[in-house]
Amino acid sequence: MLARSCLRSTRALASARNSAVQFTKRAASSSSSGSTAESPLRLNVAAAAATAVAAGSIAWYYHLYGPTAHAMTPTEEGLHPTKYPWVHEQWFKTFDHQALRRGFQVYREVCASCHSLSRIPYRSLVGTVLTADEAKALATENEYDTEPNDQGEIEQRPGKLSDYLPSPYKNDEAARFANNGALPPDLSLIVKARHGGCNYIFSLLTGYPEEPPAGASVGAGLNFNPYFPGTGIAMARVLYDGLVDYEDETPASTPQMAKDVVEFLNWAAEPEMDDRKRMGMKILVVTSVLFAVSIWVKRYKWAAIKSRKIVYNPPKDNTTTRF
Amino acid sequence: MGIWDTITDLVEAATPWTTADAEAPAQEEQQEETAETKEDESEKAEEATEEPAEEEEAEAEAEEDDEEEEDEEEIVDPKEKFEEECRESKQCAPAKHHFDECVDRVTNASSSDGPKEDCVEEFFHLAHCATQCAAPKLWSVLK
Repeated sequence: MLARSCLRSTRALASARNSAVQFTKRAASSSSSGSTAESPLRLNVAAAAATAVAAGSIAWYYHLYGPTAHAMTPTEEGLHPTKYPWVHEQWFKTFDHQALRRGFQVYREVCASCHSLSRIPYRSLVGTVLTADEAKALATENEYDTEPNDQGEIEQRPGKLSDYLPSPYKNDEAARFANNGALPPDLSLIVKARHGGCNYIFSLLTGYPEEPPAGASVGAGLNFNPYFPGTGIAMARVLYDGLVDYEDETPASTPQMAKDVVEFLNWAAEPEMDDRKRMGMKILVVTSVLFAVSIWVKRYKWAAIKSRKIVYNPPKDNTTTRF
Repeated sequence: MGIWDTITDLVEAATPWTTADAEAPAQEEQQEETAETKEDESEKAEEATEEPAEEEEAEAEAEEDDEEEEDEEEIVDPKEKFEEECRESKQCAPAKHHFDECVDRVTNASSSDGPKEDCVEEFFHLAHCATQCAAPKLWSVLK
């Protein structure tokens, strides 16, 4: 009932609109016929004035909002990292798992003394960075709280594959206290959490100059790093040539270690990347196959229509043609 | 690395005679050994992390063990090398010129009054130029 009444009302509206359109059409035609009688000067003045107002409004807008105000100095902004040709960032490339293994070694031997990696369990290292036995052996090196026992006491047990990597400090306050007030950030998602991602972290790790440029002010307890916004960073340079002995005997130069650990941290931030790229490849394959099939099916369905021939045979006319 | 690499990768992945092993072959004796060596490594790592803090002093005193000295002498930082070359190259000559001029100006301006100048911006331009020029060379060297 309601629907029917609605329909009726819309129909009424439509008829009203039609009549209105007709009315305006009629009015427009009558007015245009009237204006041709007027002087063309007045029309041109109106157009010129409208154009002037339009141009003026644009000019006013750019006067108000056009120039960008740079409130930050380059020092405060920090040096933007250079773009490095990371192989694992290409569309059809995976992580180099040998590099991940080296990077995990660098994390464990260098970074882990200050930075936590609290979102990574040992089980996720299995098959990507370590073998199952290696990961189990690594997990048992640390102790974790058990469930409360019969007396309600919480005891310590050796770690299992399901445990998460241990943090170097008990909490953020302890971390700040130990590091002169500066909090070493958790590295689980750090590649996603910083502008420039891999390039930024690589540049930051390797970009400490021998000495700050002349006249640069470095705060107490801070180190000069051009890539860090404000250039004063609490973390000192940690990677030095030959700091780590790689098990595959790669020469452990500073940029090599930085590259490996950055790739490892990228894996930590997006462990699904290899699978994601494979899935993208699958989708490309499936959609291209379906696209090809659809074209063939279309050709098949349209074959009759495309190949038909319409012939008109005029009736035989015995009379002479007239011109 | 272009489309051809991708195609060869795909062919390699598709061919039945190539194998990829995720797990190490299970041999108990070797595992025990690796566990032991890992402990050794972690001990070494603890020692190694202490090194850099002491390094400057150690270099000054030149009292390092022979093995450590050998290790450090073998490895040359390729990034430093390439960036030094790039800084001296024609490409970065304008930035280097400005930076050097700024350093001269700032170090020679001994008067304490007046605005203090620093060379951070010039340093940025030079570092930007040098790293950009060194990036592909560096990646061709690193593993």
